[in-house]
Amino acid sequence: MTSKLTYMGAIGLAALSSAAATPAFAAGTTAGTTITNTATVDYQVGGVTQGQQQAANSFIVDRKINLLVEEVGTVTTAVVPGQANAVTTFQLTNSSNETLDFALVASQIAGGTAAHGGTDTFNVNNIRIYRDNTVTGTVGSWDAGDTLITNYIDELVVDTAIRLFVVADIPTTSTVPAVVNGAVAGVTLRATAREGGLAGTQGAAITETTGANTAVKDTVFADVTPGVAGDAARDGSHSDDDDYTVQTATLAVTKTSRIISDPINSTTNPKLIPGAVIEYCIAVANTGSATATSVVINDPVPGQLTFNTGTILLGGTVTSGTCDFNGSAGGSYAAPNVSGTIASIAAGAASTLVFRATVN
Amino acid sequence: MRTIIFLLFAALMPGQAFAANQVALDNHVFVERVSTDAQGKQRILLEEPKVVVPGDRLVFVLNYRNAGAQPADKFVITNPLPSAVRFADAGDTRPQVSVDGGKQWGLLADLSIPMTDGTRRAAQPADVTHIRWAFQNPIPVGATGKLMFRGVVK
Repeated sequence: MTSKLTYMGAIGLAALSSAAATPAFAAGTTAGTTITNTATVDYQVGGVTQGQQQAANSFIVDRKINLLVEEVGTVTTAVVPGQANAVTTFQLTNSSNETLDFALVASQIAGGTAAHGGTDTFNVNNIRIYRDNTVTGTVGSWDAGDTLITNYIDELVVDTAIRLFVVADIPTTSTVPAVVNGAVAGVTLRATAREGGLAGTQGAAITETTGANTAVKDTVFADVTPGVAGDAARDGSHSDDDDYTVQTATLAVTKTSRIISDPINSTTNPKLIPGAVIEYCIAVANTGSATATSVVINDPVPGQLTFNTGTILLGGTVTSGTCDFNGSAGGSYAAPNVSGTIASIAAGAASTLVFRATVN
Repeated sequence: MRTIIFLLFAALMPGQAFAANQVALDNHVFVERVSTDAQGKQRILLEEPKVVVPGDRLVFVLNYRNAGAQPADKFVITNPLPSAVRFADAGDTRPQVSVDGGKQWGLLADLSIPMTDGTRRAAQPADVTHIRWAFQNPIPVGATGKLMFRGVVK
């Protein structure tokens, strides 16, 4: 025994140089595998070959529980108020050396900084988890053919990664006032390793072998890098965050006017006398983050004015906050309302409706 | 095949020049764990293989002793590598190794592996299938020695 210990010391010194070269392993040898090493001696005595001597030892490979939950892509999911089925994408990898079940929980973060920097200010509704169907439908993206997951992933084999979707509905601004442009809702997906081996049933919770080691298959939690807040290292569980960011159009309307002409002065310094022609401009500016589409403008013409048929111009521009009184013919008049629909106004842009009327 | 014949011979004719268990051999395996202390100094511990998971480094130690009354000649220790263990190194014990299941033997640096395109590449530690130490000189009566090699659990 003494000599063995001396030798172990010598090996220890030699090992220093090679310890850094440990290769990267994924799952590796299946848990419970018995590794037996056998050495054989052949020798002669007095020129005569003697019987072989053998010496063997064996040990059992223990169970290494390791898993990884990671967000796919590093961007927030842009949503609009009231949107159904807003999707965030995750990936779950079983890096253990045994087939396992994985309990899944999708939750919402409460305040604090979300995955992509914003502050969590509201909660989404109807949060669900789907597993990507890798055979039919749109592989890699959420679609109706994906499998709704209830509580757990069944029998995920070694070294396998699957794509998961956390799908939620975004409340409307009228029900949740916090759902405004730029508002963020953070979600967390957590997976916890459970015993595998029985298809169709969620396995029991797994505990790490503590205290004295045993000669049989032990369990070691090897998830040394914890996930997001609330996740500990080496707990057989891993998590990651993702978030939704509300991007909505915020429209501001301004109305300006100018005098075009009057019956006396014509177009030279016209005055607002009966018979004068006034041009109105209704400008709609989008200060939000999303394009506004089908913007309908409706303006009742006051009773003291008479609408000039054929003078409506749509889609004109605004320069430095001033209406350019331009655009292309369109819109309609149904007394007393002038109306027109602008197909789209991009975030940060503005568009106008222009018309003329005569003072009675 | 030859070995089997000799073994049969030994069983049938125990009288001759045979002396049972002239050579004693034992075989140990340890798990090599590296820990770094507060000063950044690495310490290496060899533990019994109780908790072993893929990626762990193993140290196999072979102790031999000539327990007979005569020197042991043509002394060869052969150790096939367990299939779940990848060979790493054998320290300074300079064994011969085989990368083809025990057909050809040599120093690792002298061996090569055939590629599918007909060329050959230099053998790597991961290719090793067998390890063998062949002693040039007889092992004297009562002499002992130790051999070792390292591997990694696949």
